[in-house]
Amino acid sequence: MKSSILRAGVALACALGLAACGGGDGDLLLQGTIYQGVTKDGLILTNNGGDDLAVPAGATSFQFSRAISTDDEFNIEVKQYPSNVKSCTINNGKARANYYTIAQVTMSCEIKTHPFTIKIQGLTTSGLVVVNGTDRREVPANTATLEMSPVYEDGPYGVSILTQPTGQTCSVSNGSGTMGSTDTNNNNVVVTCA
Amino acid sequence: MKFSLARGALALTALLTLASCGGGKATFPINVTVYGVSYDGLVLTTNGQDLAINHTGTGADPVTVDAVFPNQLEYGETYDVMPKPVVTPTTVTAADGTTSTVNVTTYKFPQHQTCQQSPNYPTNLPTYGTAGQLANIHVYYVCSINAYPLVAKVTGLRGTGLTLANGSGPAPVSVSPLLDTDNQPTGADITNLTLFSVTFNTTYGVTILSQPKDQTCTISGGDNGTGAGTMGLTAEAAGGVNNLVIACVNNPT
Repeated sequence: MKSSILRAGVALACALGLAACGGGDGDLLLQGTIYQGVTKDGLILTNNGGDDLAVPAGATSFQFSRAISTDDEFNIEVKQYPSNVKSCTINNGKARANYYTIAQVTMSCEIKTHPFTIKIQGLTTSGLVVVNGTDRREVPANTATLEMSPVYEDGPYGVSILTQPTGQTCSVSNGSGTMGSTDTNNNNVVVTCA
Repeated sequence: MKFSLARGALALTALLTLASCGGGKATFPINVTVYGVSYDGLVLTTNGQDLAINHTGTGADPVTVDAVFPNQLEYGETYDVMPKPVVTPTTVTAADGTTSTVNVTTYKFPQHQTCQQSPNYPTNLPTYGTAGQLANIHVYYVCSINAYPLVAKVTGLRGTGLTLANGSGPAPVSVSPLLDTDNQPTGADITNLTLFSVTFNTTYGVTILSQPKDQTCTISGGDNGTGAGTMGLTAEAAGGVNNLVIACVNNPT
């Protein structure tokens, strides 16, 4: 009687001991390189649907905390994107683990862009040239809205007048700022000409 | 007499047979591929030969140019294909007024461009070697359009938080005021501040993304007088745009 209790106790202790180990853990730490696109917190990666790993803003690499064994299959997927990311591409994210394959994972994320539209008021002549950095637009007379190249979410913009239209003078209000997270009304850049 | 005739004929036959074997000589053309050519002016050189690589197509659209050097190499000859160096003796005046002559080496790159050995697999092969090492000689170069800096002077800056942007392209630049030994802002001029790098023949427009604490800054300079312009020939000749001034004043209290 006494020995059977002891035996059960030992078995329980063993089971707990194994469970604490995480069962079947090996000595390979699964890792990867991030090329671009992680500019905000919020990215969560999973391996085989578990082992959640939060990757902070600006990270250039990641490493799962749980070690895996040689020949274990791993499959890295994105569970949650940062709010400004459209999608991420993971290369070599699914394989059987060995010293080579665990270090071949690369990843890059594509940041969302939003249309960038400028209001133009009072433009009656031609010759106006508006720039947002390298994005250069010649604006015909009587233009009311000007579509610039899309801008990255959370990215900066800064509109300048490179050339004034013939016989008119234009000025920019609210010309610089940071792109918001919605497609509409995310900026109020106005070029007023008189 | 008869024997000697036969001997002569035999010798001739042997010679002809050898010649038909191609026992003469193998030669190797030097093939070149240059990626990203947007302008004329590149001259590649090796073994005393020059090969001009010119832009084809419209405007300054980058194109890939394939070319072959005029003369082929014989087996075992070495080659080293490079943009043609031009050595110009230049007079340099030292601080004490004495002058000396130094040789300045430039290369015949395309106008407004710089070229280098291709860095990308599978064309990242050496540009030098020995004819016969590989089945074919093929050299790869990649050209990119030069970029020049926007250099600014910041005056009167005392507050923290000034950031400058050039459109939506590069990351904004933060500028901190100069501090004295007690870590107090001095408001002294910050000169030769390199803000952004701008590719030749593209526009720039520096704007203030966020103003410093309790101050307002305005930008002057550039082609339009308020921090915008084009990185054109004049700016290229000057090595960039050097007349940008960001003047900061305290807000009225």
